[in-house]
Amino acid sequence: MSEMWHADPGDIARYTTDTIDATRAVSIEAHLVTCARCREQVAGVADRTRLDAAWVEIVDTVESPRPTVVEWVLRRMGVRADTARLLAATPSLQASWLMAVIVALGFATLAAQSGTERGLAVFLIVAPLLPVAGVAAAFGRELDPTWEITAAAPGGGFRLLLVRASAVFATTLAVAAIACLALPTLSWTTAAWVLPALALTLASLALSTFTSPERASVAVAVTWVVAVLASAQETRDLLSAFGSSGQLALAIVAFVSAVLVAQRRDSFEIRSRL
Amino acid sequence: MATVDERSDPDLLRALAVDDRSALAELYRRHSPWLLARLSRRCADPDLVDQALQDTFVAVWRKPGSYKASGEVAAWLWGIGIRRLIDQVRRRPAALHQLDPWDASSPSAEEQVLLGVQHGDLAGALDRLSPELRAVVQATVLDGLTTREAGRLLGIPAGTVKTRMMRAKPLLREGLT
Repeated sequence: MSEMWHADPGDIARYTTDTIDATRAVSIEAHLVTCARCREQVAGVADRTRLDAAWVEIVDTVESPRPTVVEWVLRRMGVRADTARLLAATPSLQASWLMAVIVALGFATLAAQSGTERGLAVFLIVAPLLPVAGVAAAFGRELDPTWEITAAAPGGGFRLLLVRASAVFATTLAVAAIACLALPTLSWTTAAWVLPALALTLASLALSTFTSPERASVAVAVTWVVAVLASAQETRDLLSAFGSSGQLALAIVAFVSAVLVAQRRDSFEIRSRL
Repeated sequence: MATVDERSDPDLLRALAVDDRSALAELYRRHSPWLLARLSRRCADPDLVDQALQDTFVAVWRKPGSYKASGEVAAWLWGIGIRRLIDQVRRRPAALHQLDPWDASSPSAEEQVLLGVQHGDLAGALDRLSPELRAVVQATVLDGLTTREAGRLLGIPAGTVKTRMMRAKPLLREGLT
């Protein structure tokens, strides 16, 4: 039937200029969906400059690289475009990295599931190390594919460090917090890794003002594991390092490291990184 | 355009899957004018309409595979277009948006024939509705939107869409019998 009937050209003109009555507009709209010939009629009276301008925008969008999922989510959350791009380019915010974090936490959670102190100790030792590794990967010359660009970007070293480190720390913390829910007992001990995580991350940042981020993080990780085991040996209690004196010590480490990072912030700028 | 592109709409969509930019240009040439006209009748802000039109073709370029190889490509495009417009309206709630005012004049004899044959006296039935009820009928029945989408487009709560639709139904039924 639509092959037989076609919209009146005058009606089509009135339709595009919005001077047609509503019921007739409805019938034209229903017809346009099925009739290429009448669609061409609309094209004949359409606003060409407006359509051409929109086409330029479309080509522009299609040709520019697609924002990644991370960047899109950040933009939606109201993060500025340039900051979103910087964060999205962080190696330790990529899906592959997050997967690795989830797997590592998965094993630690499985160990803790056994319900023994040893299992819980494994979880508490591993969880704080994940943000340390993440932050190191966010700055490492080895791991960051955009390292040269980042290093050469003007005036951004310390700001970039803060933005990226907080983002990595927050994401890892969120994943670890979810893992916590899978632990057999929900007591204060399951959250005992939060302060260590902060302290170790800050310590590795402070240390990376002296050496490369990779070396700093490895040094911090080794020191951490040795310290926990030594404390366990000494007191014959596997979890002693997570007790109140241990937490106090870590709080001091966190504070001193933060001060050190702020003092030596210049070392994150380009001159000292090349 | 010097040569006429003979490919059918579904063919063009298949060409998009292998990143054929000329296929997008041809789809835009064929479908952007009526989409622009129809979207403009749903929203008074030309900036939002332009943005929705652009978003529609960018979405088509990125996901041509979401077309299910049956039915009119035009209908599929409209489905994308109106939803992109709703996205725009929702993102800028302060922007003025309103449905086109329905002309309350009585339908002509020509229309009675056109619409009356298949649908009973639809034109008359629609004209007897208040503008608020007609807007809801247009968004849900004719544009195929869900209650929630219609609410966003018209700037009213979904519950209001439902109650207006419930009020419109018996009036329409009355007009069609």
